[in-house]
Amino acid sequence: MSLKIEHLTKIYDDGTVALDDVSLEVPDGQFLGIIGLSGSGKSTLMRCINRLIEPTSGRIWLDDVEVTAADSNELRKIRLHIGMIFQQFNLVKRASVLTNVLTGRLGYLPAGTGLYRRFPSEEIKRAERNLARVGISEKALQRADALSGGQQQRVAIARALMQEPGILLADEPVASLDPATAHSVLKYLEEINQSDGITVICNLHFLSLTRRYAHRVVALKSGKIVFDGSPSEIDNARFREIYGEDAEEVEVR
Amino acid sequence: MTIIPQPKNRRRVLIASLLSIIPGLGQIYLGEVQRGLVLLFGLPAQTAIFWAIGGQWLAATTVIIWAWNILDARKLARGTKVSLAVPILLLVVLNLAAGWHVTKIDLYELATGVPNMRRIGVSLFQPQFVVRDVRASAVYTVPGPDVTKLGYRSEPASDAPNISVSPDSVVKGQNVTVSGRKFPSNQNGVLRINVGSDWQKISIKTDSNGRFISKFVNQSTEPGDYIVEAIIGLPFNQWHPSETLKLTSRLMLETIFLALVGTAMSIIVTVPLSFFGARNLMKTSRAGRIAYAATRGLFNVLRSIEVLIIAVMLTAAVGIGPFAGVLALAIHGIGALGKLYSEAIESIEQGPIEAITATGASKLQVIAFAVVPQIIPQFISFTMYRWDINVRMATVIGLVGGGGIGYILMQYIGLLQWKEAATAIWLIAAVVMSMDYASAVIREKLL
Ligand SMILES: Nc1ncnc2c1ncn2[C@@H]1O[C@H](COP(=O)(O)OP(=O)(O)O)[C@@H](O)[C@H]1O
Ligand SMILES: [Mg+2]
Repeated sequence: MSLKIEHLTKIYDDGTVALDDVSLEVPDGQFLGIIGLSGSGKSTLMRCINRLIEPTSGRIWLDDVEVTAADSNELRKIRLHIGMIFQQFNLVKRASVLTNVLTGRLGYLPAGTGLYRRFPSEEIKRAERNLARVGISEKALQRADALSGGQQQRVAIARALMQEPGILLADEPVASLDPATAHSVLKYLEEINQSDGITVICNLHFLSLTRRYAHRVVALKSGKIVFDGSPSEIDNARFREIYGEDAEEVEVR
Repeated sequence: MTIIPQPKNRRRVLIASLLSIIPGLGQIYLGEVQRGLVLLFGLPAQTAIFWAIGGQWLAATTVIIWAWNILDARKLARGTKVSLAVPILLLVVLNLAAGWHVTKIDLYELATGVPNMRRIGVSLFQPQFVVRDVRASAVYTVPGPDVTKLGYRSEPASDAPNISVSPDSVVKGQNVTVSGRKFPSNQNGVLRINVGSDWQKISIKTDSNGRFISKFVNQSTEPGDYIVEAIIGLPFNQWHPSETLKLTSRLMLETIFLALVGTAMSIIVTVPLSFFGARNLMKTSRAGRIAYAATRGLFNVLRSIEVLIIAVMLTAAVGIGPFAGVLALAIHGIGALGKLYSEAIESIEQGPIEAITATGASKLQVIAFAVVPQIIPQFISFTMYRWDINVRMATVIGLVGGGGIGYILMQYIGLLQWKEAATAIWLIAAVVMSMDYASAVIREKLL
C-alpha cells in the first residue's frame, strides 16, 4: 500500500508541537526508516497514520482512501490494513501466545465473536501458520510473558500478520532488545517486506540499523523533516545536523 | 566562650521573657513565627483537652510546657534555637498518662482478677467436639428440716441409658446402691458422687448386657440433694459429633454464607461503579472528573463507617437478624472493594489496549481482550480477601444480633457454658485461619 501525508501537524493539549507541517509520500512496497532524537515526533507520526492520535490538521491517504476523513466505522476498516508493532511489544501478558496472535484478527470477525475466546478453526490455523512464519510454533500455548523480548516481538509481528496488512508501522521495534536479537527481529520485517510486498515504516534509534535495512531514510527534528533520501547519503555533516553537534555514530552489528 | 550580654541584647531577653508569659508571643517577637503560633494555640488547646478528660490536676501539668516556652524564648533572644525534642517527649509522656487515665487501666484488678479466669481458661481447652462417653445421673437426698425432696425424679425414656439410686434418702455412713442399665456393654467408666464442692470417684464396668451395680458410703451430713453421675466410655466406633458441634457448625456455615452473600452484593454494585472511580478513564472530560470525585467520595464515606455501626443502624429498618448483617457487610464492602477495584483499573497497562485498538478491533473486543484479562485476577484476589475479612466481621456482627455463629456464642457466654463457647471459638478460629490461608494461596497464584 502507498501512503501520502500532506501538511500534517500535531499539537498536543499542553501546547507541545510534536509534528510541524509534515508532508511525505511512501510508495507501495518501500522499507522506510524514520530516524531522529527521542522527542523529535517519530511515535506521534506513526500514531497519526492509524489515528491512535488525532492529527490537529493535515490529510493522510492510504492508496486512495483518505484516513483523516473516515468516521469511526470506516476507521476500523482502514485499521485492518495497517499492522503495528511497538517498542514494548504490547502483548496481553497473561494471555497465551496463540490468543495474542488471534487478537490480530478481531477486526475481521463480527463484533461479538471472540468475546468468549472462541475462534473459528480456520483462524486458529491461520494463527499457527503465522507463528510458524516467525519461528515460534512451539510456544503457542505458553503465556506471553514467559517469552524473551525477541520472541515477544515476533509474536507481535505474527499478530500484525493476522491482519493481512498492506502497510506495517513499527515504532522502535528493537529499542529494548540486544543487538543480536534486534537483527533477528528486523530480518523478519525485511522478509515480510520483500516476500509479501508489505510497505514497512520503521522508527529506528540507530542509524547503522537503518543503513542495513531501509531503502530510504526520513529524519525528523523537532517535528519537521530535516532529511529525506537514501541511507548512504547521510555523511558526518548530515548526521550532526540530525542528531546535534556532540553526537557520534554508534555501530550496531 | 562566654557571651557577655550587651545592653540591647539584655533588653531583648527581658521583652521576650515578659511576652512569653502568654505562650508563643516571645517567639513571634523574635521572628520564630511558626513555633510561636504552635505554642500560642497548641498549649491552650492541650490544656483544655487535659481538663476535659482528666480534670484540673492533669491540666495543670502543662505548666511544664509553659515553663519550657519561657526558657525557649530567652534562649532564642540570646541567639540559640533549642531543639524541640524535650517538649515533644514531655507531651508524649503526658498524653500517654492521660490515656492511661481515660482507659481506666487497673493493674491491681488485673492481677487479682486473673484467677477468676481459670475456669474459663481451662474450659477453653475442653471444647465439645466429639462425644466419647454416655452420661446419666440421679439424685439422692440427705434429709433435714428444710429439705423438701426435689420434685424431679424424671422417668428416663425406656431405651436411654439411666441410673437409679436406692435408697434415695440416706444419712451419713449409710450404704447407697447405684444401678445402671442400657449402657454400652463391657465398657469401663466412672461414677461421680457430688460431695460438697468436690467429686468422689468410683471406677465401674458394665456387663455384657450394659448393666452395672455399684455401692458407696454416703459421707455427707449436710441436708440437701446430691448428684450421682455415671460416665461410661463409648467404644471407638460409636464416637459421634456432639450436639454443640453440630449446632455451631451449622451456624458457622450460615456465617460463611452470610459473608458470601454480603460480598456478592457489594460486587454487583462495585464492578460497574469502580470504572467511574478510575482516574485514568475519567480524567478526559469534565463530567468524568466530577463522576470520579463523586464515586471516590462515596467509596471513602462507606469505607469509613464501621460494619458494626451500619449493622446496628440497619436493625432499625430490617430488624435484628442475618439480613441486617448481610446488608451491613454489603454496604461497607462497596467502599472497601470500590477503592481496590478502581485502583486495579487505574494500574492497567495502556500498551495492549493501544495495540488491539490498532488492529481495527471494536471497543467491546478491546475491553474483552485487553482490559478484562488485566483486571480479572486482581478483582478475584481482592474479592477473596474481602470475603475472608467478611467472615471474620460476620462472626462479630452475630454478637450484636446479626445472626450466625456469633449469636450463639454470645448466648453460651451469657449462660456461662464455657465448654460450648470454647467449641464455637475453636471452630471460628479454624475457619478463619483456613480461609485466610486459602485466600493467601489463591491470591499468590493469581498475581
Ligand atoms: N500525550 C502527550 N501529551 C503531550 N505531549 C506529548 C505527548 N506525547 C508526546 N508528547 C511530546 O511530543 C513530542 C514528540 O514525542 P514523540 O512523538 O513521542 O517523539 P519520539 O517518538 O520521536 O521520541 C515530545 O516533545 C513529547 O514530549
Ligand atoms: Mg517514541
